[in-house]
Amino acid sequence: MTTTTDDQHSSLQWSPLLSSPFSSLYAKRLLRLVEKVTNGTVIEISLTGTAILVKPGIISGGPVTHDCPLSRSIGYFLEPIIMLAPFSKKPFSLTLRGITTDDKDLSVDLIRTVTLPHLEPFGISDGLELKIKKRGSPPLGGGEVLFLCPIVKKVKTLNFIEPGKIKRIRGIAHAVRVSPQFSNRMIEAARSVLNRYIPDIYLYSDVYKGEEGGKSPGYALSLVAETTTAALHCAEAVSRPGVAPEDISLEATRSLLSEIERGGCVDQKHQTLVLLMMALGSEDVGRCRMAEPTERTVQFLRDVRDTFGTSFKIVPADKLGESPHLLYSCYGTGYINTNRTLA
Amino acid sequence: ASASFKLVRQNKRKDWTTLIYSSSLSPREVVRDEPGTARNEDHKENDQVDDFFTLKATDADADTLDATKEMNPLALHLGKWEGEEALDSIRHLFITGVNDTS
Repeated sequence: MTTTTDDQHSSLQWSPLLSSPFSSLYAKRLLRLVEKVTNGTVIEISLTGTAILVKPGIISGGPVTHDCPLSRSIGYFLEPIIMLAPFSKKPFSLTLRGITTDDKDLSVDLIRTVTLPHLEPFGISDGLELKIKKRGSPPLGGGEVLFLCPIVKKVKTLNFIEPGKIKRIRGIAHAVRVSPQFSNRMIEAARSVLNRYIPDIYLYSDVYKGEEGGKSPGYALSLVAETTTAALHCAEAVSRPGVAPEDISLEATRSLLSEIERGGCVDQKHQTLVLLMMALGSEDVGRCRMAEPTERTVQFLRDVRDTFGTSFKIVPADKLGESPHLLYSCYGTGYINTNRTLA
Repeated sequence: ASASFKLVRQNKRKDWTTLIYSSSLSPREVVRDEPGTARNEDHKENDQVDDFFTLKATDADADTLDATKEMNPLALHLGKWEGEEALDSIRHLFITGVNDTS
């Protein structure tokens, strides 16, 4: 086999991990998943759990099934996989089982309606899909999703600097193993706030019954605001014991308003995905206008520099200093998926 | 009032490129405007109590870095959206809003 490993991360060394010992089950399960979708990857965790040895293989993709632990939702596993999947040898057809919505990671609804469309400007769109077959609420889960991703040879350069204005709002309210009336109550409460802004609001009540609903009761509201330039801002709130559906709904709605107020072309939850694709873009200057980086993004930018040697230029979006937005730009590494030429 | 607010914001404008790539501040310190004071004091206190064991002050950091959503809904200041004034303040961001450029 002539395919080489991803030479950008081929350095074979023990690297210090997060400051905390690497003992959490879900992190190990994530590495196990990475091993499954690649070929030749070696991952070793030191006895003390504070260092890790990674020897990368090729991203092989294909049909894979993985059971996620109940300590983290499917989103935790799917987010890094979405970053790898377009550069695979074979298109991904990944089945993940576990919790579909929780309060830590993006729910499968947001990944389907917001995360995946973020790949479109980079030339990754045909055949990109996430099917929610079963829902699974914490603590017992029981959900199942199927992630399909096409492969690309290279990533297009992004030039996204016009945030536009919000033209429509979409939402999904789902309720499993509770009264289906709960999703209608959530929708009504969200409308009481959002109706003042625009008429084009469609909030969908997604009811899963019986086996499809998973093993535990739960409900959530996911909201997406789309602008005239196709920028997406999203927010979500998940049921908590003893809190009325109306309050969950208002929490989601107000988070969406905060996200809209922050503005920019990409919301804070998707900064890292977009920045990674920009860094991997063709050898040209990619630009994107976004709000201030989150703590996560700051660490991510440092990791990208250490891994790919690419630094971003981050300057105020307008020189007068009226807008709080920043303009992120970088020179793409011109990454080419060598696997694809063989396929 | 809004003019003075803008002035403050302008003065506080950070040089993100330098902060991210050429400083050793933790992500939390970079994002929030409190360069390391709390953390450093913590370390000093720990040193006095015990030389050998030091508390991991960075566990919270690791947790935030590991989750995509903001962890604590109460920390998001959602309460401000209860007032009509706040709700009206973002009207210009919608296509139906008045076309001012702020």
